[in-house]
Amino acid sequence: MTTHAGTRDPHEHLDHMGFGEQDPQQASSNMLLGVRLGILSEVMLFGALFAAYFVIRSESGGWPPAGQERPELLLPGLNTLLLLSSSVTMQWAVRAIGRGQVATMRLSLRLTLLLGSIFIIVQGYEFATNGFGLDAGVFGSTFYTLTGFHGAHVLAGLGFMAVVATRARRGLISQEHHTAVEAASYYWHFVDVVWLFLFSTVYVL
Amino acid sequence: MSSPQRHAWIAAAAWTVLSILGIVLVAGIQVIPVIASREAEIENSAFVLLTVLSVPVLMFVVVGLAYSALRFRANGDKEDGPPIHGSRGFQAVWLSVSFALVIGLFGYGAVGLIDIRGAQASEFEVQVRAEQWAWHFKYPSGVESKELHIPVGERVHLVINSDDVIHSFWVPAFGVKQDAVPGRPTQIYVTATVAGTYPGMCAELCGLGHTDMRLTVVVSDRAGLEDWLNHNQVPGPGGSQPPPSGSEPPK
Amino acid sequence: MKALKPGLTRAVLGAAIGGGIGIGSLVLASSAGLVIEDGQFLGLAYLLALIGFLFGIGAFRFWVTWAFGREVDAADEHAAHGTAGDWRRYFRFTTDHKVIGVQYLVTAFLLFLTAGTFAMLMRLELAQPGLLLGKEAYNEIMSTHGAMMITVALISIIGGLGNFLVPIMIGARDMAFPKTNALSYWLLPLPILLVAINPLLGGFDSGWTAYPPLSQQANLGQQAYLMAFVTVGVSSILSAINFLVTVFRMRAPGMSLMRMPIFVWALTVTATLMLVATSVVAGAFTMLLFDRVLGTSFFRASRGGDVILFQHLFWFYSHPAVYIMGLPGLGAILEVVPVFARKPLFAYPLAVLSFISIGVLSFMVWAHHMFVSGMAEFFHIPIMLTTELISVPTGIVFLAALGTIWMGKLHFKTPMLWVFGFIWAFLIGGITGVYLADVPTDITLSDTYFVVAHFHYTIVGGTIFGLFAGTYYWFPKITGRMYNERLGQLHFWWFTLAFNATFLPMFWLGIEGMRRRVADYPGQFGGLNLWISFAAFNIFLSVAVFVFNMVRSWRRGPKAAANPWRAHTLEWQVASPPPIANFEEIPTVSEGPYEYGGGAGLPAEGRAAP
Repeated sequence: MTTHAGTRDPHEHLDHMGFGEQDPQQASSNMLLGVRLGILSEVMLFGALFAAYFVIRSESGGWPPAGQERPELLLPGLNTLLLLSSSVTMQWAVRAIGRGQVATMRLSLRLTLLLGSIFIIVQGYEFATNGFGLDAGVFGSTFYTLTGFHGAHVLAGLGFMAVVATRARRGLISQEHHTAVEAASYYWHFVDVVWLFLFSTVYVL
Repeated sequence: MSSPQRHAWIAAAAWTVLSILGIVLVAGIQVIPVIASREAEIENSAFVLLTVLSVPVLMFVVVGLAYSALRFRANGDKEDGPPIHGSRGFQAVWLSVSFALVIGLFGYGAVGLIDIRGAQASEFEVQVRAEQWAWHFKYPSGVESKELHIPVGERVHLVINSDDVIHSFWVPAFGVKQDAVPGRPTQIYVTATVAGTYPGMCAELCGLGHTDMRLTVVVSDRAGLEDWLNHNQVPGPGGSQPPPSGSEPPK
Repeated sequence: MKALKPGLTRAVLGAAIGGGIGIGSLVLASSAGLVIEDGQFLGLAYLLALIGFLFGIGAFRFWVTWAFGREVDAADEHAAHGTAGDWRRYFRFTTDHKVIGVQYLVTAFLLFLTAGTFAMLMRLELAQPGLLLGKEAYNEIMSTHGAMMITVALISIIGGLGNFLVPIMIGARDMAFPKTNALSYWLLPLPILLVAINPLLGGFDSGWTAYPPLSQQANLGQQAYLMAFVTVGVSSILSAINFLVTVFRMRAPGMSLMRMPIFVWALTVTATLMLVATSVVAGAFTMLLFDRVLGTSFFRASRGGDVILFQHLFWFYSHPAVYIMGLPGLGAILEVVPVFARKPLFAYPLAVLSFISIGVLSFMVWAHHMFVSGMAEFFHIPIMLTTELISVPTGIVFLAALGTIWMGKLHFKTPMLWVFGFIWAFLIGGITGVYLADVPTDITLSDTYFVVAHFHYTIVGGTIFGLFAGTYYWFPKITGRMYNERLGQLHFWWFTLAFNATFLPMFWLGIEGMRRRVADYPGQFGGLNLWISFAAFNIFLSVAVFVFNMVRSWRRGPKAAANPWRAHTLEWQVASPPPIANFEEIPTVSEGPYEYGGGAGLPAEGRAAP
């Protein structure tokens, strides 16, 4: 293919971003695309776990299997409200920083962190009082593997949000530079959607 | 005739000749080494069809490659070849022919498969149990054996289970194979057509003993089978077992 | 102190510390009364060793700095890209895609040689009826051979050649995420080591397919394999994200998607498959690990589990996986043909469409590995249809290759020899695949040597022939030196003849009833097996010729020009090897990649960056 010498590439010089980086807008957009693709891969992971659950459940002749009881809906129901609200607060944070309102963003982010942490505590309490464990046949296996993987994803999301909150406290997040907030929001909404699916199929239906 | 056309005609001629030769060679072959069941007969004809159809496909590519290697060498010529990006017509033909071949093969295979596995009725049922590393057979009368005895000319139903890991029940001469899965009985339907003794073996890696996990199948007429069953009765609590239903009076 | 700077020494230290903490904490737990099983020790030790290794090599330092809201050390980040000519950059966390490409290539070839040695041991056992190494040893060697070769097939082309070349081929300076790229590579040494040492843990004898319940029974070596596989899977997913963002966002001006080299297209579809499918097998292996180590019952029939469920989940990934292995090879082959036929790639748009179709269809055929598994009967017919259908787009590869070759001006340099060898081998693989797709014939052939022959013809014929074609083709670009042409031709002929002599008879063996994964067989198969072992040994020797050629040429071969093949794609318009920033100026592209025969003569030599 023939090439054609244009004007000198202004980003050819090494700058603090190093080689291979493009302008900040492009880099941010690339990062967010990367996050979305990563989430797609995680969706497939949960797909495999849910598929296992549906297959096993449909072959079991009765659910829960004889002698076992499903958890009460009170605590998971509360957790659903918590996560839904936390998605709302997460989105507030994104909107706020989009308008340059750093303080509002920080507040919303901390609220999200709080709601998510309460979720973890409530879930932990629920696990402790459920009355069955991971080794309780396929019922325990599917229940704890699904909710456990989800919980691990919640923890990872909270960890990332804590990092973003730290950077925000140091004044590193602004209207121009807030990719991390958006990335966190994609991930957090994904975690919330998985929960809704989980709540409906594992707890309710 | 222009040079491109000449090349095409010569190659086409070579292809036609070689394909015809090849088809003639393979048309009547028996692929499955020993055929002793209705199912194996059906499967062998599928093998033959596939092999016959493979010949022109193989020859097309081989002739294309060989002809090109012989006639289109650059040999020091530094010029480029002609700037041909594609040919709508040729591409369309290629796609249509390959698609038609595939659909045809699928149709033939589907019909064959339904023929082999479709009907669920049978005249003789045996429970097959696999374990690391042996096969066990249980007959309707309660007889248990490590050999499989079935009647010739009747549709036999094998219900296969495993005690431990996945095994696979395979009798090459019958053209039947099905995994033995713990927790889920699987089925084989087979109609043996030639009396005789045939080897079988486990066809799914099941641990150290997999290599030697074999079985023997004896196909005989009903009388011979009943004889064998009676001979192998497990003595019941009240003395001898009643003879299996439908049998001839003992000779 | 040197050990405190990020690097291999510190990485090994980190792995040891991590593993130590894992074992130590569980020892404490067990002395406090908890019952801890061997598998749990191994699991935690491996996980923490991996994290320790990555910390030690410096994989996380930039992200950790960022996370704490501190300024990244600019000099460190610049240095991470590596300096030209510094050999130590290959042993560090280096972010230059060209370094990472070489790391992948060398690692893959070393793994290839190791797995090949295991194959020689297998053929030693199988040379005659009777037992030599024993059934247990054979099963373990066979399983490890499979696991290693699958890994080679998965990473060698896309990780090796792909990483090195794709950014240059599309006119970019690096991949979208250079640090993640380096992380993808450094995730590999520990799992590879784990698979290599699994005999010390008792080996695993289930084959790479690891079906439960057999794999639930097996010993620790089995668990090592499962954990290693999941790790490689994570590396794959990160790589896939990198490739996709790079290709979709970083192409040079004028390079539309339909002006991308076919190699880049093949890798793009491959990356999509990697991204979508890998998590499913990771899930399956995790469930299996949980069954082994945490007492779950996913695949325990006696407690409500479903054994066949594993197979569905496993093959849902593993069938797309064979295209993850094959497509890069097909891409490399189609990339080479136009250059050595001096003709445009025939039916390029159709070839692109067929790669995409293969990708999509690959998700709909998995159960053809399960025709005799006892799965629901109704499933056989739709899967037979989709499997037969996938041969249509796969056939287009032959259309493109033959159409380019026909009436071209053929130069039979080593890369082109591999193209011809590929066309034959992949054809045999493809035709025999139809026998396996057709259920009536599959019943006889499943689990026999017919299957072994089929997948060696497709994977070696597709991936390995493609790997060799690509390695010879791009050798001058990567190393700046030319390989020895005569040794290359010797390697090709010796390998190809030996390969065909080894695997062609296996089709017959399978039809005659020789099963796969057995250490011994009926006496009547002895003569042919002896021949096969002899031929296989020749494959090994021919690869020794290849290794010799590569090593000697890299060190002392004649210096290569920027464009010894007079090719038109972008990587040939820069120096050999390429300068550290790839281009002096990002080019603007004004035509497709295979405009041979246009009368414009040789493409202009590119200007290298200072």
